Amino acid sequence: MAIAAVAAVAAVALGVLATACGKSGGGDGSRRGEPLRVAAAADLALAFAEVGKAFEASSGKKVEFSFGSTGLLAKQISEGAPYDLLAAANASYVDDVVRSGACLGDTKALYARGRIVLWSSDPAKLPAGLEGLRDPKLVKIALANPEHAPYGLAAKQALERSGLWASVEPRAVYGENVQQTMMFAQSGNADIAVVALSLAVTLPGGYVAVDPALHEPLDQTLVVCKGGSAGGKPNEARAFVAFVGSEPGRAIMRRYGFLLPGEALLPPK
Amino acid sequence: MNGVDLRPLLLSFEVATLATILAAVIGITGAAILANFRFPGRDILDVLFTAPMVMPPTVLGYYVLVALGRNSVIGHAFEALTGSSIVFTLTGAVIAATIGAVPLVVKNVRAALEETDATLILAARTLGATRLRAFFSVQLPLATRGIVAALMLAFARAIGDFGVTLMVAGDIPGKTRTASLAIYSAIQGQREGEATTMVVVLTFLVLSLLYAVGKLTARRPR
Repeated sequence: MAIAAVAAVAAVALGVLATACGKSGGGDGSRRGEPLRVAAAADLALAFAEVGKAFEASSGKKVEFSFGSTGLLAKQISEGAPYDLLAAANASYVDDVVRSGACLGDTKALYARGRIVLWSSDPAKLPAGLEGLRDPKLVKIALANPEHAPYGLAAKQALERSGLWASVEPRAVYGENVQQTMMFAQSGNADIAVVALSLAVTLPGGYVAVDPALHEPLDQTLVVCKGGSAGGKPNEARAFVAFVGSEPGRAIMRRYGFLLPGEALLPPK
Repeated sequence: MNGVDLRPLLLSFEVATLATILAAVIGITGAAILANFRFPGRDILDVLFTAPMVMPPTVLGYYVLVALGRNSVIGHAFEALTGSSIVFTLTGAVIAATIGAVPLVVKNVRAALEETDATLILAARTLGATRLRAFFSVQLPLATRGIVAALMLAFARAIGDFGVTLMVAGDIPGKTRTASLAIYSAIQGQREGEATTMVVVLTFLVLSLLYAVGKLTARRPR
């Protein structure tokens, strides 16, 4: 009885929601005056904030970002979340959203290659390299959840290939995305974090680069999406993509440590 | 079903049980004070006990990280004594789950205590019982149904905690990855089958608890 009542209420609520959402459906015009909505991997949080400002200044268009783990964003887009562009931290999740029909496969493009680093707010705790993670004085080591955060997966692969995973795993704590992982270390709750160079590069503290040969390349791929039921802004999305690839956009991305397509990929310093 | 990791569910049971015990101790004490004493600041104490119910989990998570994190005085002392931190451990997950459960215990137990017949307590007092004895032998037993209902609600709330746990527990498989965190990971990792199992179990459990609470608190015909 009680369960039937709950189910009935839920069904009514869903019906109301569906009607409400249905009304907002339509073509390009229904989104007039609204910003371009970009779902971006958490490693882009600092770089894209800056790229976004430069894009707004040069184009006069508004752009809004939602940063999160690529896995979460891809899932939401597949389920119809109203984003006009997905800037992922790898390539495979982009294939997923294209397969789901939410994004335009022919717009898929590599826009940057990411790097992982060891980062600590206290440079004294920073080891010379991955091998230093064996030090038991590093009580908590933060990484992004490898199950859905590409930077976490890269970190896990690098640790596995260096034979360090067994030593690190018992001390590992997992951030929901690479930004939260960074927060664990910034607040001092984790002694060290394996994060994106693009987040570490502007912060006080210190970092040590991890050899990119130790993990699958973080081929950050983007794709223009249909914007869910509200309709997309494909032209503006393409303009934003072009801006990321333009010299001002590339200059910002380069400053955050990304390797860029067309430039010598992978020159570890 | 095969290959589904059941550790998160078991862990959730463990965390929710410990959190309910902790919430019972804190919550019943708080409710007894609020129900039986008038003192300056009583309303403020009530607000403090209730606040976690309406505060964003991020705010609560932030407080826990600041107050009990590895760089805090308490967190530091705890780590020095036990060798393990509060955050990123089972302790952290239990604290996260307790925070949401305490207001439910305080609110419901207080109501149950205030509904008890004051003349019975006064009778016990005239027969020579101390205030404490009257509370434990008369008032508390009279409120049993309300207390049990409150603890069931607290358990249901604790087993479902997500926000605070995500912020302070570190999502460690087998150690702090509770069912609600595991569901989140499974959905993001495109493992719907795994999520479904846990979703069904949790839904059934929580609905049954709510049903039982409804039965317990329904007014009996006099």
